[in-house]
Amino acid sequence: MSSRGAHPRHPAPYRYTIVERLYLPLLSGLWVTLRHFVRNFFGRGKTYTINYPEERRLYSPRYRGHHILTTRPDGSLRCVACFLCAAACPAECIHIEAGEHPDLNIEKYPLLYNIDMLRCVFCGYCVDACPEEAIIMSNNHDMAYFNRGQSVVTKDELQKPYAYDESRLGYRPHYPEEQAQHAALRHGLVDLVEEARRQGADSASRTAS
Amino acid sequence: MIGESWVTTTFEKLEEWGRNNSFWPLPFGTACCAIEFMSVVSSHYDMARFGYEVVRFSPRQSDVMIVAGTITDKMAPVMKKIYDQMPDPKWVVSMGACACSGGFYRAYHVMQGIDELIPVDVYVPGCPPSPEGLMYGILQLKEKIERDTKKRRKREKAKRADDDGSVAAA
Amino acid sequence: MPTTTAPLPLPERFPADSIQLREGLDQPTWIVRREILVDLARELTADPETGFDLLLDLCGVDYPDREERFEVVYHLASLRGGGRLRLKVPVPEDDPVLPSLIDVWKGADWFEREVYDMFGLHFEGHPNLRRILTHEAFQGHPLRKDYDPARRWILTEDKMYRPQPEPPMDAEDDMFERMTINIGPSHPAMHGTFRVVATLDGEIISASEVEIGYLHRCFEKMAETHTWQQVIPYTDRLNYCSSFINNVGYCRAVETLLNVEVPPRAVWARTILSEFSRVMDHCVCNGSSLVDSGALTNFWYLFQPREEIYGLLEACSGARLTVSYCRIGGLAADLPPDFEARCRALLETIPAFIDDVEKLIVSNRIWLDRAVGIAAIGGEEAVNWGWTGPCLRASGVDYDVRRDNPYDLYDTVDWDVPVFHGGDVHDRFRVRISEIRESLKIIRQLLDRGMPEGPFIVDDPHVALPPKEVAYNQMEAMIYHFKLIMDGIQVPPGEIYSAVEGANGELGFYVLSDGSGKPYRIKVRPPCFPIFSTFSRLINGGTISDAVVSLGGLNVIAGELER
Repeated sequence: MSSRGAHPRHPAPYRYTIVERLYLPLLSGLWVTLRHFVRNFFGRGKTYTINYPEERRLYSPRYRGHHILTTRPDGSLRCVACFLCAAACPAECIHIEAGEHPDLNIEKYPLLYNIDMLRCVFCGYCVDACPEEAIIMSNNHDMAYFNRGQSVVTKDELQKPYAYDESRLGYRPHYPEEQAQHAALRHGLVDLVEEARRQGADSASRTAS
Repeated sequence: MIGESWVTTTFEKLEEWGRNNSFWPLPFGTACCAIEFMSVVSSHYDMARFGYEVVRFSPRQSDVMIVAGTITDKMAPVMKKIYDQMPDPKWVVSMGACACSGGFYRAYHVMQGIDELIPVDVYVPGCPPSPEGLMYGILQLKEKIERDTKKRRKREKAKRADDDGSVAAA
Repeated sequence: MPTTTAPLPLPERFPADSIQLREGLDQPTWIVRREILVDLARELTADPETGFDLLLDLCGVDYPDREERFEVVYHLASLRGGGRLRLKVPVPEDDPVLPSLIDVWKGADWFEREVYDMFGLHFEGHPNLRRILTHEAFQGHPLRKDYDPARRWILTEDKMYRPQPEPPMDAEDDMFERMTINIGPSHPAMHGTFRVVATLDGEIISASEVEIGYLHRCFEKMAETHTWQQVIPYTDRLNYCSSFINNVGYCRAVETLLNVEVPPRAVWARTILSEFSRVMDHCVCNGSSLVDSGALTNFWYLFQPREEIYGLLEACSGARLTVSYCRIGGLAADLPPDFEARCRALLETIPAFIDDVEKLIVSNRIWLDRAVGIAAIGGEEAVNWGWTGPCLRASGVDYDVRRDNPYDLYDTVDWDVPVFHGGDVHDRFRVRISEIRESLKIIRQLLDRGMPEGPFIVDDPHVALPPKEVAYNQMEAMIYHFKLIMDGIQVPPGEIYSAVEGANGELGFYVLSDGSGKPYRIKVRPPCFPIFSTFSRLINGGTISDAVVSLGGLNVIAGELER
């Protein structure tokens, strides 16, 4: 770094130009707002508003939402109660109690697997830590609870509501080829809203038919 | 008696309908969640579509308090005072992990959930919740209020019938 | 960060045993007896060419096992000469007093109050030594090692501090009655959590007092109770408008301690995403400061690009605001396949919004009348208060960490540091608008260069988790995986001060490791802490409405200010 001159001792405020004194630049500002207004009024501009809950923003496949406990083909939980997720969690919101599994190949399974959703900060560390791909995160973020009791979700609730619809899976350890369809979908960034709208219309027509 | 006439009950229904469709929220925003609250009121997620856009910073004029962000022990008396200043009926939405339970700040200066001091109607988890998450929470609050109103009306009706019955028996 | 070029000449007039020299990992370290501290500080600032004009940071460290239990650490920088220096002053527990440096650097004011609050050390000569971050009913000093992290004290309303900036005047003294008003902490103009108590003479603020600490979330204590990797989500919540830059700052500090080489792909992505975060932060700052002065339209126009950048960050990391995308040694996950396309799309869309805002504001006389000359401060005074970043550059001091202590890829791209000389709200606004354009310039050059191939995180099983496929199939990788999660990264003992250019200025992380799996002490050098300590000086003499506008222009983020 080269040595520079002394720091300026006093501020030198901006001096108005004649045009600014005459309030003339206001016209260009008014033109900007007028342009936006006219465009939007006649439907030429892009409306950005997402009409939640009918339309939804298209989140990426990595979105860190509500957790899912994955299952084996026979329907049992893949979790082996190794406590790595609980150790990795900075919020200490995962509570596990382990039990002996009748199958000798599988050492343990969780008797209890509770996540306190109100404590959880959705950092995804549990997913990173899991050696079995037993916990992943979904794209679901519609959560609200009326009392604290509801907010502690048990292992049944964690695995139940999701039928492993590929599009609803969120943060998970690795992404099989990152889904070319998603890449194509998300190419034009500003069109996300349009895309969500179109998908909404598609699903609506599907349900109608 | 004017208390139970057709006019007053209909007016009451109208009032409840109006209230449910135009909450005036008081954003008690302190931290990160307040930034997401700004997203909710700005153009992408526009809360005005539900009639909840009249954001009031004065507790006297609002009926839903949205606590967005960490509440520390230093802030707690302030929050309590603002809650007390709100006129009845009033509701509280607790937005985000910190307001709900302290989140991962199990620390010497952070309140472990605002329900230590004030009653909470809806907890919205997330750190911070996505804008959809907050809107979902507010819609849940609306449903809850409708449900509570129905319950209250049923209870009152039953009580009235009970009173009438006892009067008749006497 | 490069070390200082030339060894500093040791002042000769001090006794030989009062200063000990140590060569630090990052910068020279002097261990100084407290008796000579003030004289030494004056000596160090004396030279107009190479004097240490900027007090970057001041913090305490607690070593319960040492004979002299506490250590106060000063980080100094010379903006003109480019040198850096660390002073350490040991303080014994039974006589916890050391001289205040407030006469040398005004910026020491709040820093010393913080050390008093956190460690209970007394600074002789400090005019207003009382708690700053914790509340009035608090007992004990939380950053001492023997303080239980979860021990809380309850504050009730009657114990709340009631500042009295100026004693009420007798009616005989003054024709007009003075009025003291309280603004905040819950007030729309105070952005959530600041509190200003002002004494008004008519409409003019004659005296004011600023109270903070309403969002003190104990980041530094929490960092001491978590593993190195677990601290990353906490850093997100420091400056939550540009959380990715905090991630980078923290990870860089730990990587330097570990001596880990970050792969080029991760460095490339970090630079691009940092610049996007800076754009986003400046958008929020300018947007909300314009709202405070009544220009609501700009808020909508500026929040549009921000929402688009959120989309990009979310596609990379999975969260909109609190990204936690960095890991020590690289990134949490590989970049999404459409990363470049999305960045290009953003580069196309953002300038239009910025142009709109510029047309609406920059030469609009209504705004100029509100902003020009408001809260003005000269460069020399600003440096003395400890300012850095856009606010300092608006006062005519040409200092940017990205250029003067280059990290990541900043020394390989061509860009300018915008400097204005007004030192007022208007020039802070213009600096931010120009910086958005410069950031886009940096991003465009990096994108043109192409995404480097290779891994996104360092291939070292002691630092980074092995890839999932490997961990599933190989026993050795699985053992490393378990060890890394259960015990955390083992950082060798040492200390480092590493700085990045945050959206508000120099964001430094002073990291101390004792070789256990957890940080011994992490001190954040929050850029807006010294800036906001000047607030009282800035608003005195102005009106209340000027105070509101000047707070918006400073871009004070509570999460970072109070940690």
